[in-house]
Amino acid sequence: MDTLRVLIVDDEDDFRETIVKRLKVRKVLAEGVASGIDALKVLETQDFDVIVLDVKMPKMDGIETLRHIKKLKPEIEVIMLTGHASVEFGIKGMQLGAFDYVMKPAPLNELLDTINQAYNKKRGLPH
Amino acid sequence: MRVWETSHLQDTLPTGKTTSEHVYDFADSQANLEKIQHHFKQLKTRLVLGLVLGFLLPNALLSIYFHYQFAHTLKNNAKLNLEAVAESQKNSIDIYLQERIVNLNNLFHSKDFTLQPTSEIMKSYLQNLKRFDEAFIDVGFLDANGTEIGYAGPYSTSDINYSQETWYTSLISEKKKYVVSDLSLGSDKSPRFTIATRQEFDGQIFIMRASLNPDKLYMFLRSISHGKSIDSMIVNRQGQYQVVDLSKIPFQGTSTFIPPYSSRSGVEEITSDDETVLVAYSWFAETPWALLTKQPVSVVQTGMYLARSILTISLIVVSLIISIVIYYTINKLVENARKMAEKGQQLQEMLAHASKLASIGELAAGVAHEINNPLAIIMATSGVIRDMLNPEFELDHSDTAINKELTIIDNAATRAKGITKKLQDMGKTSSSSSLPCNINSLLEEVLNRLKKTEFKSKKIEVVSQFDPMLPNIMAEAYPLRQVFGNILINACDAITEEGTITISTQTTEEMVCVTINDTGKGIPPEDLKRIFNPFFTTKAGGKGTGLGLSIAASIVKYCGGTIKVNSILGVGSSFTVQLPFNKHQLTGSHGKEAKRIQSTIGR
Repeated sequence: MDTLRVLIVDDEDDFRETIVKRLKVRKVLAEGVASGIDALKVLETQDFDVIVLDVKMPKMDGIETLRHIKKLKPEIEVIMLTGHASVEFGIKGMQLGAFDYVMKPAPLNELLDTINQAYNKKRGLPH
Repeated sequence: MRVWETSHLQDTLPTGKTTSEHVYDFADSQANLEKIQHHFKQLKTRLVLGLVLGFLLPNALLSIYFHYQFAHTLKNNAKLNLEAVAESQKNSIDIYLQERIVNLNNLFHSKDFTLQPTSEIMKSYLQNLKRFDEAFIDVGFLDANGTEIGYAGPYSTSDINYSQETWYTSLISEKKKYVVSDLSLGSDKSPRFTIATRQEFDGQIFIMRASLNPDKLYMFLRSISHGKSIDSMIVNRQGQYQVVDLSKIPFQGTSTFIPPYSSRSGVEEITSDDETVLVAYSWFAETPWALLTKQPVSVVQTGMYLARSILTISLIVVSLIISIVIYYTINKLVENARKMAEKGQQLQEMLAHASKLASIGELAAGVAHEINNPLAIIMATSGVIRDMLNPEFELDHSDTAINKELTIIDNAATRAKGITKKLQDMGKTSSSSSLPCNINSLLEEVLNRLKKTEFKSKKIEVVSQFDPMLPNIMAEAYPLRQVFGNILINACDAITEEGTITISTQTTEEMVCVTINDTGKGIPPEDLKRIFNPFFTTKAGGKGTGLGLSIAASIVKYCGGTIKVNSILGVGSSFTVQLPFNKHQLTGSHGKEAKRIQSTIGR
């Protein structure tokens, strides 16, 4: 079985690093970047199965980053990370091709479940 | 009555200006509505006045012009007509007189003419004359001395000497061929006039004379003055009446108007005590008489008075109708325009309300996001600790490792606490009372603190241009420190590596004015209108809450001041804070505001 590759895009350093750390111990090849621009840069050289994308980021927000990702690498599944009051961005993200959205703060298991479902979809497995 | 929470949100929102300058103002919608109503009231008055005057004034002027032109023409026509009547009557009488002179003169050439006529011959002369005209009364034959040597007529006179008569002297001395005398009363008290002609026989002058009844002359005068209120009369050169309507004028009275002998005919306007009359005159050819025709001006103008009445009434009616139409049309148009403007104003208010609601949503979203981020960190980090304690993952779970994670949790919790504190600060400035406060020293204080902290990481040159005469303002120092601190921190953040921040203070009429300029990256126009919104930030997560300027704006507003921002992208930004320094500021209208804020917060 291939190892699941996940990119976490969030400008909250503590949050991003902690999630990456926790995913890594769960045998997920996780990496983190602090902005949409950095994410697009990384995608030029690396491939990922799933991207977890925060909606609210300075300069390039989650929705705009999603548009670029879907143009650049449409096969990658994207999960939007939204606040409770910005669910509409999650829905908008799904309209633009995101797999699902998860509301912050979410327990890690919920996030991991969604990541796995997205990964299954990408591999053509039931999700 | 607006509740504080809502009005506060409204007031902390900019009013939708999209230019690169943004003023933080507090417009009142009711005042706008009144302004609109006042504007349209004025517009209506101006339109109605303008149109009514623009239409009525020229109309009235034109009417007056035509009226005078019409009166003038009418009078001229009447004058011409009157003169024509005078000339025509004079001509008829002239011809009549000529015929009678010829009748008389022909006697000299009759076959039975003799220089010593018998009474029979004289009788045949009279009969001969009466054949032509019944007006002949008698006939006389005079020698050169003026003695009547032959007579036929109703009077038994003989040997009368006429040498003293005016007609006789003018016939002899002026050597006239014939003469017509003025009217006089005969011995029977009836009026008459005399015609005399002369002939010379063997160097001797002989005169034929006849008296005539002037009835025919009356008839001529009456025949023409029909139905036009024209009075005709004959006067001599002295103005004595010769032939007149005896029912109106006494015989041999004198006319007040004596026509000038210089011109053959003419017309004049004469004003006497009771009325104005037009008088035309025409001089006779055969005798020094003038025919006068008189017509009162009021008669001439009768037609005009009628026309004028009709014109005036129709003008008034038409003007009234048009004025009413103008008034109602304008009223309707202006009313429609006013309603539309009011609808526009209402729409704007609805939009403002909508944006108020939207900003509540934005505030809620901001709060949720700002609180959720540290919460997410806390949850994720506690998950890490749980992972450490899970033997399955074989992670380092030493005290040091766990302590490191706990520090992350502490930091996140502190951050959340900071946000709730700032939210409280937005509604509340301080509980302490206002004191005289020197803005110059307050700015120094804030700058000194920032130079040790925020400004340290960059090369920032601070230029202070303080007005030394700046008056103290009544305020609380702590919130004002926050205002200038927040603006200065933003200025510092706008500068990438090195730049200049210029702080200047100055005094205007009732305000202390603080300007903070930076040479930073500037604010994009689309962000400029949102910078005072709570939670609006362009800083990275965890670095800015988006509350700084929002708090600054609400404090400045509380102090009765204004905050204004100018920005040019790539050049820098300029914030201007104006604060009132009159000492009654907190007991005036702002005092009421302050009390209201305090009481709502106290709930």
